[in-house]
Amino acid sequence: MRTKIAVGAGLAVAAWLLPYGLDSYAIHVVNVILIFAVLAVGLGLCMGVAGQVNLAQVAFFGVGAYATAILTTHNGLGFWVSGALALVATVLIGLVVGTPALRVQSHYLGIVTLGLALAFTNWVTNAQLSGGAEGISAIPVPTLPGVDLSSEYLYYYLELIVFVLALAFGLFVVRTGLGRRLRAMRDDSLAAGALGAEVPLLRMTAFLLASVYGGVAGVLYAGLIRYVAPESFGIANMFLLLGMVIIGGRQSLIGCVVGAVSLYLVREWLADHPTIAQLAYGAVVVLVVVFAPTGLAGLPERLRDLLRRRRGESGTAARLAPFRPYAERAGQTSGTGTPILTVSAVTMRFRGLKALDEVSLTVAPGEIRGVVGPNGSGKTTLFNVISGLYRPTGGRVEFLGRDLTGSSPYRLARAGMSRTFQNLRLFGDLTVEENILVALDRSRTLGAWRYLLGPIAVLRQDRELHRRARDVLDRYGLTEFAALAPKSLPYGIQRRVEIARAVAAAPSLLLLDEPAAGLNGEEVRQLSEIVRSIRDSGVTVIIIEHNMGLVMSLCERITVLAGGRIIAEGEPAEVARTPAVIEAYLGDSMDSDDLPSIPEVTK
Amino acid sequence: MQITLQTIIGGVSLGAVYALVALGFSLVYRTMGLVNFAHGNVVTVGAYLASTFYLSTKLPFALAMLVAIAVTGLIGLIIERVLRPLENRDFDLMLIGTIGFGIVLDALVIMIWGATGRAVPSPVPSAPIEVLGLRIRTYDLVVLAIAAVATVLLVLFLSRTKRGAAMQAVAMDHEAATAVGIHVGRSNAIAFMIGAGLAALAGGLVGPLLYVSPALGGTLGIKGFAAAILGGFGSIPGAIAGGLAIGILDSFTAGHFQGYSELVTFLVFTVIIMVRPTGIFGERTVNRA
Repeated sequence: MRTKIAVGAGLAVAAWLLPYGLDSYAIHVVNVILIFAVLAVGLGLCMGVAGQVNLAQVAFFGVGAYATAILTTHNGLGFWVSGALALVATVLIGLVVGTPALRVQSHYLGIVTLGLALAFTNWVTNAQLSGGAEGISAIPVPTLPGVDLSSEYLYYYLELIVFVLALAFGLFVVRTGLGRRLRAMRDDSLAAGALGAEVPLLRMTAFLLASVYGGVAGVLYAGLIRYVAPESFGIANMFLLLGMVIIGGRQSLIGCVVGAVSLYLVREWLADHPTIAQLAYGAVVVLVVVFAPTGLAGLPERLRDLLRRRRGESGTAARLAPFRPYAERAGQTSGTGTPILTVSAVTMRFRGLKALDEVSLTVAPGEIRGVVGPNGSGKTTLFNVISGLYRPTGGRVEFLGRDLTGSSPYRLARAGMSRTFQNLRLFGDLTVEENILVALDRSRTLGAWRYLLGPIAVLRQDRELHRRARDVLDRYGLTEFAALAPKSLPYGIQRRVEIARAVAAAPSLLLLDEPAAGLNGEEVRQLSEIVRSIRDSGVTVIIIEHNMGLVMSLCERITVLAGGRIIAEGEPAEVARTPAVIEAYLGDSMDSDDLPSIPEVTK
Repeated sequence: MQITLQTIIGGVSLGAVYALVALGFSLVYRTMGLVNFAHGNVVTVGAYLASTFYLSTKLPFALAMLVAIAVTGLIGLIIERVLRPLENRDFDLMLIGTIGFGIVLDALVIMIWGATGRAVPSPVPSAPIEVLGLRIRTYDLVVLAIAAVATVLLVLFLSRTKRGAAMQAVAMDHEAATAVGIHVGRSNAIAFMIGAGLAALAGGLVGPLLYVSPALGGTLGIKGFAAAILGGFGSIPGAIAGGLAIGILDSFTAGHFQGYSELVTFLVFTVIIMVRPTGIFGERTVNRA
């Protein structure tokens, strides 16, 4: 912490003194670099943090600059008024460019945003309003009482302040709730949705942030160069910007800044040989994605890892502590009262295949319900329908007395439903603690305005969340793993993290999809204890499981599925005697029922 | 009516070129789930290679084209080989990797051939023929014929040869394909090679139609991609239909919106992707994005 403060203070002094050592050309270069740094931070937020491929960042930059230019020269507005209006225009464009992200992701999104960026350049090159290929010159100097901003030395300080604010805000977002949800969505949008993250809104937020940064950079650019022309906002600069973010390290905002500074300096150094510079940074981009996907920002970590391995140190010796049961909630009697979940005549068809055929079941509050059946009998499909991943072809799902058929997963999660996944879906690039924090955080994405107006409240809330996360980790015996990446943990511990995460979302109904798969005997025993304690704390549990010993001992009622139909339901002993069940279990189980990964596009 | 028909005919030959570009995109996508963002730059390289051999070494047009296809095929192999460690692991990184290759190829083109473009004369007599009062350029017919032959050969390769069948298997399930002994990497490499070859074919053919310049591939690439999406990404008949549709759309927008034709094309394309991401002939099973 102390070294961080020292480094920060050193950088601040250096930045303050920098202009004194530079000639007028060098300060111009520095000013342009700062603008690119702001752009890179915006792109890093959208692409690196939120995982939304955005090849239109340079168009946001262009909209900001052009709008300022047009408003000052055509409409005679003052520079700052124009700048503010330009920012609004950029944000609107940003939201338009972002809408395709609601439907498509990854490559498709890349090409759509690229196409829209090209459409923008096409428009400014042709439109009268934007001055055609010549662009717009004679943008007035921004005025500031007592400061002559036509001096590039003084303009530097203006830019420096804006840049520091932009970076600080970016870091603030990344390290608190909103950023965690964005990162969770990047790592696994399905699991993030199932934990209540409003995926569509978060995607729009990513583009909103990118466009704000792009717009700010554009306004600064208009004030600095005082001339805009189409080629500054073309595809070549987009790829340069992309190179900055990738080489610097897209997941780290500091990395993006480092990438922007270094790449621009190299380009300036090779200013007489622009094609060689282009060749070089293109090649470096390729090398970085193959050999160092975390970019420059990830290098220290990799070096440390390497050193540790050289010294022959193995991984941490952290041990799993025992689970500390929840306090039992008094007055809970299982199996009575109005049902918490009612599934009526649900049918799910995948083209020709009928995965679920008129399935009906009701689950009473406080119950532990087992769902068993041979592989391919539709158990996971049933879970996917209940938790909103699939919209059933027919039938209804009522949760807590409300018809929530086909609601999006995040609505169901917010209504009080939580689940785990058969093939473990932890957020890979978040730590164990952050995985829990994502589930604990119930703040709405629309409440993100507080990041601007009430940052203190956001910080306070975040501290409270951290405290509760430590509680959860302690209860599940995971404290020693808090700062580790889930991928580095043994399988059994990952399973426990996923259960802890699902329960941290404070559900009234918990769906566990094969929680005992891959666990050893002792771990299964602990699991049974954990599930029982969760139920005793007032949560209804539905569990899909193949481990019949566990199901028989744990569940009060069992539903048996075979071929997409319910063939039996009742108490464990009674079900085990049903001839249909015995037949179904002696039948073959050649099919597999992996959790279907539903492609974004076909949703 | 006459004018409409004439516009359509004007768009068809460029449409055939788009279809070839789209085929390259689709082939790589269906095999490995990757959109090759360097595809457009490969088109540029192909166009320059073909026109260089045709103009300066006076090779016959067809031979110049074959040389271009061979060289770009090699480029395709290199791209695939370098990015292979990322295959089936991180598609976003691979996408950025192909953008990196695009930047490199773009720089190489400018280094070798300069930033200015060149015009390529038509290899066949340029007088148009008249059919039912419509003027058809003879070279357009050549383009259509070659594109049709290339498509037929591709389909035959995929459906009739062992190697082609293996590629289809990889497209459906790369893990299962590995399990039955198919070398997925090699299959991907061939897809990339053929894709690059198709790009060179498109670039070579488009030379006499458009002005060959470093910016050529950018436009062709994105329109070819739009064509692939419109038809249904990964689908071969879709690529053909999409290519022709975009060509005709292009021809109409050029007539009606002049300078803004690109803008209109991209907006239409965005709307299509929003409304129906799987395109006209979209095969859901191969959609992996």
